[in-house]
Amino acid sequence: MLYMGLAVAMLFCAAMAIRAKHLLTSVLWLAGVSALLSLIFYLLGAKQIAVIELSVGAGLITVLMVFAISVVGDQPIEARSIIPLPVAIVLIAAAFIMLLILTIPAPAPIPGGEVTSFAEVLWQDRGLDVLVQVLLIFSGVLGVLGVLAHRIQLTRRSAGQSAIKEAGK
Amino acid sequence: MATWLIILVIGVPWLGALIEIIMPRRPTIQHGVAVLFSAAGAICALALLPDAGASDVISLQVGAAFGAFTFRPDGLGVFLAAIATVIGSLAVVFSIDYMKGETHLGRYYALVLLFIGAMAGLVLTNSLLLLFFFWEITALCSYALISFESDNPDAVRGGIKALVMTQIGGVGLMAGALAIYALTGSYQISDFLAGASGLPGSALGLLAFGFLIAAAAKSAQVPFHTWLPGAMEAPTPISALIHAATMVNAGVYLLARFFPAFEAVPGWKTTVMAVGVVTALLGALMAISANDLKRTLAYSTVSQLGYMVYAIGVGGLFASQFHLLSHAVFKALLFLGAGAVIHAAGTRDMREMGGLGRSMPLTRVVFIVGALALAGLPIFNGYFSKDLILESGLTGGPLWAYAVMLFGAGLTAFYSFRMVTLVFYGERHGTGHVHDAGPAMAVALVPLAVGTLSTWLLAGPFGHLLESTLPYHEMHVLALGELVTDVLKGSIVVLPVVLAGLLAWGLHKPLAGLGRAFTWLMRAAAADFGFEWINSAVVNAVGSAAGALRRTQTGLLNWNVAGMVFGLLAILLVLLLRAS
Amino acid sequence: MTLSAPTILLICVLGLLGIGLYGMLITRNLIKLVIALQILVKTALLALVIAGNIIGQINLGQSLAVTVLAADTVVAVIGLALAVQVRQQLGTLDVSDLSTLRE
Repeated sequence: MLYMGLAVAMLFCAAMAIRAKHLLTSVLWLAGVSALLSLIFYLLGAKQIAVIELSVGAGLITVLMVFAISVVGDQPIEARSIIPLPVAIVLIAAAFIMLLILTIPAPAPIPGGEVTSFAEVLWQDRGLDVLVQVLLIFSGVLGVLGVLAHRIQLTRRSAGQSAIKEAGK
Repeated sequence: MATWLIILVIGVPWLGALIEIIMPRRPTIQHGVAVLFSAAGAICALALLPDAGASDVISLQVGAAFGAFTFRPDGLGVFLAAIATVIGSLAVVFSIDYMKGETHLGRYYALVLLFIGAMAGLVLTNSLLLLFFFWEITALCSYALISFESDNPDAVRGGIKALVMTQIGGVGLMAGALAIYALTGSYQISDFLAGASGLPGSALGLLAFGFLIAAAAKSAQVPFHTWLPGAMEAPTPISALIHAATMVNAGVYLLARFFPAFEAVPGWKTTVMAVGVVTALLGALMAISANDLKRTLAYSTVSQLGYMVYAIGVGGLFASQFHLLSHAVFKALLFLGAGAVIHAAGTRDMREMGGLGRSMPLTRVVFIVGALALAGLPIFNGYFSKDLILESGLTGGPLWAYAVMLFGAGLTAFYSFRMVTLVFYGERHGTGHVHDAGPAMAVALVPLAVGTLSTWLLAGPFGHLLESTLPYHEMHVLALGELVTDVLKGSIVVLPVVLAGLLAWGLHKPLAGLGRAFTWLMRAAAADFGFEWINSAVVNAVGSAAGALRRTQTGLLNWNVAGMVFGLLAILLVLLLRAS
Repeated sequence: MTLSAPTILLICVLGLLGIGLYGMLITRNLIKLVIALQILVKTALLALVIAGNIIGQINLGQSLAVTVLAADTVVAVIGLALAVQVRQQLGTLDVSDLSTLRE
């Protein structure tokens, strides 16, 4: 039925994202995964997270990646993987089978009683989480500034040097 | 009150260590901060003495897996904490002169202060996990300080040797702690001591001998003794503090602390006694054959620790702790005096010294005081404590052991006088100008000398402290008057042996023919009786294992992820097995 | 065994997990690594929401998922910034050129 189709489509998109040769293609498949995921969220009843996932996953992350790829360049790396293929497949298969045994079949959904609204749960029950998220984002910004500072310095220095060269002429 | 004092005793030196690391490199400030914080720690430890009690004063609940982090200021703990901090501060004061002009003073003082705090914590804690934690910190500081001159390959090698050997003991201690937790459900030492008789015999036996090995490795008993002479590459104040007065006593402390639990294990006490006897004898023989001043003192430490272990083996707990107190004071004195000599003469070889007494009068006096205490002559604290050990050996152990230890006392007298005469008397063999100990050195040496003359007077209150705060140890303690009379009775046998040892050295030139008969013994002693191969084998094995394991650290991201997936598989496997 | 919706979705979660881990094990390109990591995080989000659905408190599941999403976004941003820097400094995005732990 619907869930089955969406699940298969999502798995297909994810597999294509890993297998794609060019990075841009990969990013587009990843956006596809995001879109399908947000649809599944909506069907499960999680309306708010569906919207957030769509805008962040299919929107923000995709834009970021495209920006990064444009800076970095899109040459595919042709070399063979470092870990031998059979080893990787065995590891993944073992994890998959063991998890399958542990989690399937899923427990039946409990009919929920009164449902507190999302905003209430987020801001009151999970208020600490929100605080931590704010701190995370703040430190993320600092981290990125720190990582890119050298680059900013380089561009500024090269701009300064070219300015000096201009003045010297 | 006791709560705050314990926090201060550990925390103030550690705060000093932190300050030493982060503050600017001005030698005056570094010396000053170190002295200030170590002295503050010493004052807090001394203030803790009257507050000693038999119950936990600090108890932090840290969850079911780790039990509670507890501290208990009982007699055994507070006296060792006092020794560690007081001798620590004296060693720091001595370092002002000894380490003048050295670079990296911040690192040096930070490590010393870290060590002092950790040693105090080690003896004050009632939780096996915290005991292990502080034990490991002392081992780390010991290694870092031995290898302080990191461009000297001998120092680095000596540090690694010491680290590997004591760490084997540490691993044994951790295994023992976990085993105790599995058997009794608690990490508290007091719980273990209370319930030890209820444990299955084989498990208890395994624990007993495991702890014995850990203690023997840490206290440099035979066959693990070869790391201590190698640790003499450390700066001399470190040798005085760590390898004479405090860290090596941790093993003896461990044995004394767990004695009530293990004394019923068949064969344990005999093994402990045998280890002590062999170590005392071999240590004394090796000291006679050594030509390096610090090595002689190192072997002497090994030998005296053997006496303490022997005392525990025959049940004389009070005697062993009393000798620990005396030994800490006079051995620190001897090491610091040796430091002054080495600093002035520029060499450690005793054959290149001689006749230094004329130019170093103060050092000569304090060194002779220490040597007389080591030999066990009356008035000095070594006499009383060593006699007490031999007394308890007479009543608690076999006669042959007593005889060997008696002979060892004679040997001790022999080599201590050999040391004094070679260094301070006779004609000057070396060259160069020699000056007496500087003012800071004198400030450190004189209190220790006074202590050597007087700490035996504390026997009464010390015994009372131990008796009243250690509920599980049945200690047979004596008041001062009884102590003196007991010792005087015993010394009828002991003193003549000691004097015979002195006489033997005095007459060593005429007796040289007799000495030649024993050259084979001396050559064996000089080679550490062949036990060096254990040490080298262990260090080499550790080195090659480390080299082999290095290949797993590839630095490649994919292999790191593979490692994570392996971990995931392991967790899933455990979950599967538990579910089935 | 009737395939209820949660069961299908759980199998899907396991599948995504496998694909994401496979991607992280195989790829040598740093940015591809970040993409594989994103797939793994989507797996976690889906699992959280499914759990919320099963116990009937969907909003709890959503709140936890929002937290994970915020953290994951920050990770992605920093990961991409690092990848850019690596390209600038070393001139390559190949993982095997990053290791300096040579014998």
